Amino acid sequence: MASVPASWTPESRAVALAPRALTILVTAAAVFAPLALILYQSLLDAPFFDAKKNAGLDAYRFIFADADFWQASENSFLIAGGMTLIAVPLGALLAFVMERTDIRGRQWIEPLLLVPSFVSPMVLSFGYVVAAGPVGFYTIWTRDLFGAAPWNIYSVLGMTVIAGLTHVPNVYVYASSALKSLGSDVEEAARVIGASPFRVALSVSLPLIMPSLLFSAVLVFFLGFELFGLPLVLGDPEGILVLSTYLYKLTNKLGTPSYHLMAAVAMCIVAITFPLVLLQRQLLKGSRKYASIKGKAGRMRELPLGPWKWLAMALIALWIFTAVLVPLSGVALRAFVTNWGEGVNLSEALTLETFRTIWGEPTMMRGILNTVLIGVVGGLLTVACYTAIGFATHRRNDGWSRFVDYLILVPRAVPGLLIGLAFLWVFLFFPPLTPLRSTLFSVWLAYSVVWLAYGIRLISSSLLQVSPELEEAARSAGARRARVSRDITLPLIRYGLLGSWLLVFMIFEREYSTAVYLLAPGTEVIGAQLVSLWQGGAIDIVAGLSLINVVLVGVGLGVALRFGVRLRD
Amino acid sequence: MAELTVENLHLRYGDNPILKGVSMQLERGEVVSLLGPSGSGKTTLLRAVAGLEQPHAGRILIGERVVFDGAGAIELPAEARNLGLVFQSYALWPHKTVLDNVAYGLKLRDVGRAESAERVAKVLEQLGLGKLGQRFPHQLSGGQQQRVAIARALVYNPPVILLDEPLSNLDAKLREEARAFLRELIVRLGLSALVVTHDQSEAMAMSDRILLLNNGVIEQQGTPQQMYASPATLFTAEFMGSNNRLKGKLAEVRDGRARIAGDGWALWGALRGEATPGREAVGVIRLEQVRVAENGEGNRLRLPLSTSMFLGDKWEHLFRAGDMPLRAHSAGELGPGEYWLDFPADRLWVF
Repeated sequence: MASVPASWTPESRAVALAPRALTILVTAAAVFAPLALILYQSLLDAPFFDAKKNAGLDAYRFIFADADFWQASENSFLIAGGMTLIAVPLGALLAFVMERTDIRGRQWIEPLLLVPSFVSPMVLSFGYVVAAGPVGFYTIWTRDLFGAAPWNIYSVLGMTVIAGLTHVPNVYVYASSALKSLGSDVEEAARVIGASPFRVALSVSLPLIMPSLLFSAVLVFFLGFELFGLPLVLGDPEGILVLSTYLYKLTNKLGTPSYHLMAAVAMCIVAITFPLVLLQRQLLKGSRKYASIKGKAGRMRELPLGPWKWLAMALIALWIFTAVLVPLSGVALRAFVTNWGEGVNLSEALTLETFRTIWGEPTMMRGILNTVLIGVVGGLLTVACYTAIGFATHRRNDGWSRFVDYLILVPRAVPGLLIGLAFLWVFLFFPPLTPLRSTLFSVWLAYSVVWLAYGIRLISSSLLQVSPELEEAARSAGARRARVSRDITLPLIRYGLLGSWLLVFMIFEREYSTAVYLLAPGTEVIGAQLVSLWQGGAIDIVAGLSLINVVLVGVGLGVALRFGVRLRD
Repeated sequence: MAELTVENLHLRYGDNPILKGVSMQLERGEVVSLLGPSGSGKTTLLRAVAGLEQPHAGRILIGERVVFDGAGAIELPAEARNLGLVFQSYALWPHKTVLDNVAYGLKLRDVGRAESAERVAKVLEQLGLGKLGQRFPHQLSGGQQQRVAIARALVYNPPVILLDEPLSNLDAKLREEARAFLRELIVRLGLSALVVTHDQSEAMAMSDRILLLNNGVIEQQGTPQQMYASPATLFTAEFMGSNNRLKGKLAEVRDGRARIAGDGWALWGALRGEATPGREAVGVIRLEQVRVAENGEGNRLRLPLSTSMFLGDKWEHLFRAGDMPLRAHSAGELGPGEYWLDFPADRLWVF
């Protein structure tokens, strides 16, 4: 008889539970501390570290009496609503064309479709300014050719259209996975009964992916309230404010940092976004309603587009041109030109001056280095933390797991700008953390909290692919939970974790708003530097740094594509 | 001596009771099958024994050791129970070689490297996997994977080995070979095994004793012969073998014999229930007991032939008594027409 494996006592179970509780409590602290601070601050009439502060609703009274606040709210609703109306039909149409028809060149179209979701919105918006603004490349070229350029991107309409076009990928991703999981046999059944392809799309496919479309509509509407870079860059020239830029500009407006007012605006934004996040959660459950109607995974016959092919290709090309090519080519060109305007010959204006300036400027070089560091090293640490949280809830359906489920939703509802602000306060006024204020750790922590929901979803989708029986087999062979995680689960998800690292790298390169308030000597990252340089009007440098940022994301994207990392779930 | 004892085990998922008081014993060197339709709780019982499901009342003992006691709040986790478990899907770890898969249980028990290698080699040899140690699971056939899964569960000499639907993942042809291999292996190594299956012929072929579960309780238990030849309940009678089912009323009871009558027919059978004349009754008779007879003498019915099917070693015929289908076997072909069918009265159970 072999011996029973390591003796088991109630105490040993308690020891085994400790790391789990610790992980969850630390996560909860990192999520709730900054938010509690915002809430507390919004209920005061002076900064919370001020000696003369009184509790009350003065801050809310002030902003509710401000006409600009109401104007900004209206703009936020207009833009969020308008971009939803643009992004959802376009995304659904693209998904149908890509998933169900015989369109060619899918393998290179799809990565292009996803590009706008990986490029920093700050960079994209800046790209639109230099490409399609009043003196943008494309504006001037169009004017030279046709005599006029009939668009104005510095308007609510212009921002709405651009936001709508750049958020098409968010809809596309959900609509196409819904179509994929649908199984084509339900469509074939309709064809056999006698419905035309168009009829099938309308009366079978569309209703069945409706739950997913509804979910992505709410998602895009929600993202509309998070917009920061776009209205900052495009709304600025005409003084158009949305809620997030209103908050950002409060300091300029009053001349003093009025933390209580910012906190009150932040609470107003959260009051809109949090219900939207809860609604998304409800809808996501509903979007799986038809997942059980899973036909055979067999290869379906693609719908021949025939002459419609050209229209579909033109549509895709037009979208790629406006949402990807225009802004990115604008950034790329502008980075190699130091003076640009009407009548300048592009071939004569090309120069490397901008990059020489960046090279000679220590803060910029530090910003670039920090951006790489936070993506590579920070990304690795973040994935490690997310994995720990993932394991804390893996295969456990108890109160703790349900708590974590809701816990990770909380930062999702708070725009990065606000979380950055809250972490600034935490680092300034929570003594044990103060020494870390001007280190990259502060930015890393804020990034990790902002992207918690996204990251946990990546990790848990890897974890869910491990069949529970593989773990149970190890348990009954005599391995404790921790041992099972180390010997079985972790090795099995290692490729998934590498993929997550790459994706986290890319979103950390892309991130900008979270670091805005944390920007200080030592914590420079490109995203936040872009915001502050843009405020200072240093267009050349913004162009140069934007291009570098795009290249960094591009490297990540290239590696991801090379190794076949799934860019979407 | 009982290697495994389950006493009055209750288990529920939420408000849904799965096991409603199951008791059983497994003696040393015995193979017991848990048989039942899907949803009867057989896999749940096996997983509860393994420590992978949590019952809320009852006791489970492995040898003398209490591993679960609802009253005393004892619950040993799966890893402390020292059982061997073979999964329906085999659950081989895809990132480990066959050797590493099998050696893992020994590694967890801190068995020295040399001894471990020796024991792994021995068990692989016993299972006919001698040369496959360096392969990864995806490089093996289904039958080989199954044997690795068994080797992995046997290598640390657990007192009881649990097998969950061990044959269901194999092709129909392989299944019969594997069934014989498994039975022979268990007997040769003197293992005590608890096997879950939904297939009654598999259960009869492999085990010394069958526990038939129905809806969370044990319906009947006994040797395969007892279960097949003298079922105590209608459920058992219908679950084992292939049967004809005759619905009618109890017309007459005499000397333990019952006369069941339906629309235009009546037959004598062995009474297996209440002797209340006039009640609804169901007659069950195994297909192979019904014979096509020459004349109408005895317990016989004359019925029209509806259709015939050729099964290879015999023919199966479908007759109709009103709207009630009746099936019978014969060695040769039958032409269209009406035939006498013989129902031996001691083989027709009237419930």
